[in-house]
This record gives sequence, structure tokens and C-alpha cells, in this order.
Amino acid sequence: MPRSEALGRGMRLTGLAADIRSEWRAGNRARLARLVVAALTAVAIATFVGSIMTGAADASLANVWRWLIGEADQALSIRDRIIILDIRLPRAVLGMLVGASLAVSGVVMQGLFRNPLADPGLVGVSSGASLGAVLLIVLGTAAFGPLFALLGFYALPVAAFFGGLVTTLLLYRIATRGGQTSIATLLLAGIALGALTGAVTGVLVFMADDKQLRDLTFWGLGSLAGANWTKILASAPIILLSLAVTPFLARGLNAITLGEAAAFHMGIPVQRLKNVAIVSVAAATGASVAVSGGIGFVGIVVPHLLRLVIGPDHRYLLPASALLGGTLLILADMIARTIVSPAELPIGIVTAFIGAPFFLWILLRGRSNMGL
Amino acid sequence: MINVSNLSVRLGGRPVLHGISLEARPGALTAIVGPNGCGKTTTLKAISGELQPSGGTIRINGRDLRGLKPWELASMRGVLPQSTVISFPFTVREVVRLGLAAGANADAALHDRIAAEALEAVDLGGFAGRFYQELSGGEQQRVQLARVLCQISDPIIDGEPRYLLLDEPVSSLDIRHQLGIMQLARSFCERGGGVVAVMHDLNLTAMFADHMVMMKAGKVRASGAPAEVLTDETMEAVFGCRMRVGVAPAAPVPFVLPQTASL
Repeated sequence: MPRSEALGRGMRLTGLAADIRSEWRAGNRARLARLVVAALTAVAIATFVGSIMTGAADASLANVWRWLIGEADQALSIRDRIIILDIRLPRAVLGMLVGASLAVSGVVMQGLFRNPLADPGLVGVSSGASLGAVLLIVLGTAAFGPLFALLGFYALPVAAFFGGLVTTLLLYRIATRGGQTSIATLLLAGIALGALTGAVTGVLVFMADDKQLRDLTFWGLGSLAGANWTKILASAPIILLSLAVTPFLARGLNAITLGEAAAFHMGIPVQRLKNVAIVSVAAATGASVAVSGGIGFVGIVVPHLLRLVIGPDHRYLLPASALLGGTLLILADMIARTIVSPAELPIGIVTAFIGAPFFLWILLRGRSNMGL
Repeated sequence: MINVSNLSVRLGGRPVLHGISLEARPGALTAIVGPNGCGKTTTLKAISGELQPSGGTIRINGRDLRGLKPWELASMRGVLPQSTVISFPFTVREVVRLGLAAGANADAALHDRIAAEALEAVDLGGFAGRFYQELSGGEQQRVQLARVLCQISDPIIDGEPRYLLLDEPVSSLDIRHQLGIMQLARSFCERGGGVVAVMHDLNLTAMFADHMVMMKAGKVRASGAPAEVLTDETMEAVFGCRMRVGVAPAAPVPFVLPQTASL
């Protein structure tokens, strides 16, 4: 079925659900995957709109719409306008971007390391990225003055990117020998690197002044609370660029599941694939960490759930993960800001509460297939 | 024609192959045999382009391997590794289709048929929907062979022969499938392609190979037709087994019986 036709069906969700059921029964995962991508697109849009409409304060989307088309009374709608356009909309956009970026980074990293447990959060790439960001905040203008001047608000995502890149390269060097990756080494090296970056971050926190300390507390927890259009402007180009590269990696990542040698036998330029994959994971993770801190488990839960339904073919897994990752992060954020309303929980706590038990479940279920 | 001349390979600084020269003609099944650790697999890896030689040249159809891109190589030869572990839940159909995406089969309309025929050829018709991880070792090996047959589905494309490089293709198969897979390799040769196989079973090799290369300690010790290579002298010199090579009464194919050996 052509993609456009599948997307057209996305509008009629009930019909789509019936189609998905019948393809599931027929065992045709390629067609099923296309339907699931269409359904996830519809769900993502619905969630996005829903999250703009809900919140602690009472604000009317209709009022904002009327203001946008120039019909509403200015005085009446200004409060709604600020709540929706300057608070909720950037938060939803950032949630979608960060969720998609975390989930896709998870898929690419798992494909590259040929293991469903590899995740930028778990193996220390995120902590490397936060170290980059913390270094910039604390040593800040003294050490990196020219960098700030040159990059403006991109300085933070760029610093986080380099932190993530160095960690990913180190991990790859440590865990891969002769084209074979040892997942045990990878996870243990991740723990070691996480501890090391944590220690360095601790030293920096010790050195930090009061204002810097407030900025730093935020990294530990992970939150979308500080979402604004500047953060989106700083992270969106990097995240969107890394996401845009990944469809070109799909065929190579499929081939590399059979091993690096087999991928080469099948005509994949393996070294180039690895370079592009590592840089895009580091960039997407770095930009996400820079604007939202460390939000765990999205990169492991989302791809795993989708593999159970549509299979591991990266041509479908990548877009489906982007959509489901964004959707789930927006939902988690809605929980985070409503459950203890009017206060709010850091979103990292919500994703950890959902993700950590899920991770244990994956471990118990598939121990034998994961080389552990 | 695959032409290996004076090939040397180092692994981790240690020389493993010392000046290997061999030819694999299209239309012929070339078997590489020899004791464990003699460099058979290393030779095959060098021919596949996976290992960089430290000396010597390898040519496929007259073209130097060093000048070929991965995707050009992928349309000239398929490679069956010894064993393949996959940690994601791929179905047999999906694994086989990876081969289709890699090969030179431009016509997508034929893909379903090529995949079905490849699975049929390795006696796995009806396995398309099964999960790769749930199959036995021998079945997984046959799925991988089907994947390679999808990549190189035609023995000749544009008048140029294609090659299958097989590393112990029958090592974990039962006797019926050993014969079936060797027959399959033979028929690929008869249709104009070339096969290079690393083999352990000398009797199967003698039955099916046109050309035999016997290696020891990183060097070629004997090469030629199986009847020329498999002799009492080479068995003792290469394997250190003093034994009698027999000749089957029905067809003039040499055989070795472990019962005759004195170590």
C-alpha cells in the first residue's frame, strides 16, 4: 500500500485499527509497519493538540485561535495567549523534539551495537553530554568566552554534543574488538564512564557559585519546565538535522544486525555508516540534554515496544520511534505537570518510574538473546 | 576468475598467510582444506575484501580488489560466514530480504519470487514467517545461505561470472542437507558461476569439488583435482595422519576412512 494512501487512512482511526489487526494476524510486518506509522502520526498530532489544551491554568485554545485570526478582543485573550503560545506550545514542541531525538538515538545506538540494551542514557552518553554542558556553565565565560561569543545560545548544545561524542567514541573503542561488540563490556564501561563523568561534574558543582548551582540542579533531574522559544531555536536545528540523516542509515543498520563483516559483504561502507551514526547520536543526545537535562529510558522503552509490534526493520522502526518517543514524552510531561498540580515533578522522575521496571522486564524476558 | 597471487596477511602483527597463490575459475567448485588454524578462513576473508592483505594481489574478474567499492563487491560475490548471531527478532523472510537489498537484482517485481526460490533451494520453504532466533544452528546456517543466494541470484550477470564464498557451508548440517547444499553449490557452478568453499569434510570435498587447495601453516601445500591432492603422502604431510586413501568402486572418487589412520 502506498504511503500516501496509508496516511489518508490515518484520518479514520477506527478503520485503521481494524486494518492493523488484520495485518497482524496475516503476519505481514512490512504492511503492518506502514499502518502503524500512519496511526502513530495521527496519535502524535492528537497528543500534541491535547497537551496544549490541558494544564494547571484554565486557558482557552479557541480564544487564542480567534486572536490569531484577528477576531478576539485583545484584553480578553492576552492571558490565554501567553499561557498557550509562550508556555504550553513551546513545551509541547520541545517535548516532541526531545522525545523523538531520545527514541531515535536509542534505535541508532542499539542498531550500531547490535543490542537492544544499548541506550545513550544507560551507557553514559547522556552523562558525557551533561558534563560538556556543566563544564560550559561553571567554567563559562572565563574559559569559553570566545566560544560563547561565536556560538551564542548554540554554545550549550554544542558543548553537550562534544561531551556526548567523546563518550560514544570511547565506549565504541572499549567495547568493540574486531567488529564484535561485547554488550557486557559496553554496559560496564558505561557504568565506569558514568561514574567518572559524575565525579568530574561533582567537582564542578563544588566549584560553582549560587546562580550556577541553580542552573546545575536542573541537569540532574531532567525537565521540560524551562521550555521557551530560545531553547527550541537552539536545539531544533541540531535535532532535526540528526533525525533527517537517520533514514539514510536504515539499510545499513539492517545489514549490520548480521555483524559488521556481513554488512560489508552486503555492500555497506561500514566505517562511514558507523561514523555518521555515532555523530548523529551524539548530536541528538547532546542537543536534547542541553535543553532538557537527562531524561532516561525513552530510548530503550520506545524502540523495544515497537520491535515487538512491527519488527526490527529500521526503515519503519526509525520513523515510528520518532513519533512514539515524542508522543510518550509529551504524555509523561502532562503527568509531570498535573499529578501534583499546581507544583510539578521533574519529567525524568516520571520516565524513570515507567521506564526502569520496563527495563527490568526486558532483561528478564530476553536474557538469552542479548549476549548476557 | 578469482586470482590470488602471493597473498600475505598479518593478524595483530603476526604473519598468518605466507605467499598464498590460487585460482578459482568460474564453472568450478574450488575447495580449501587443511588442518585447524592453517589459514583457510583468513584466506577466504582476504578474498572477500574483509581483511587487508599485507602483500600480494587479489583480482576478481580481472579487477584488483583494492579498487572496488563495497557495493561493487557486493554485486560480484556473496559471502556465507561460519555462523551469524542476530540479537533482534527478525523473521526468516526479513533476513533473506536483506540479501535482496544488497544484490544486483534491480527488478523489485522479482524479489518475492527470488526470496521464495532461495528458501525452497535450502529446503526451508514454509519457514518465511518463523523467527530466526528460534531456529536450530543448522537451520540458521541455511537461512544465511538463502540470504546469500538472494544477493547473488544469477551466476552470470552481463556476461561476467559471480562468485559464492562459503566458509564451512555444511559444518552444522545433517547428512541429507550436507548433500543438498553441496549439490546447490555444484549447480551454481554448472550455470556459470564460481564457488570457493572452506571445507572440513574431505569425503564431501572429494565428491563435489573440481579443484582442491590444501593448506598447512599459512602456505599452499598441494592443489589440483581431488584425486591428485588426496594422497597417502599429503594426508601424512599435512594432517600428520598416516592413513590409506581409498577409491570408491562406483565412481573414481577418493575417500578417507578414519578407521585406517594411525596417529
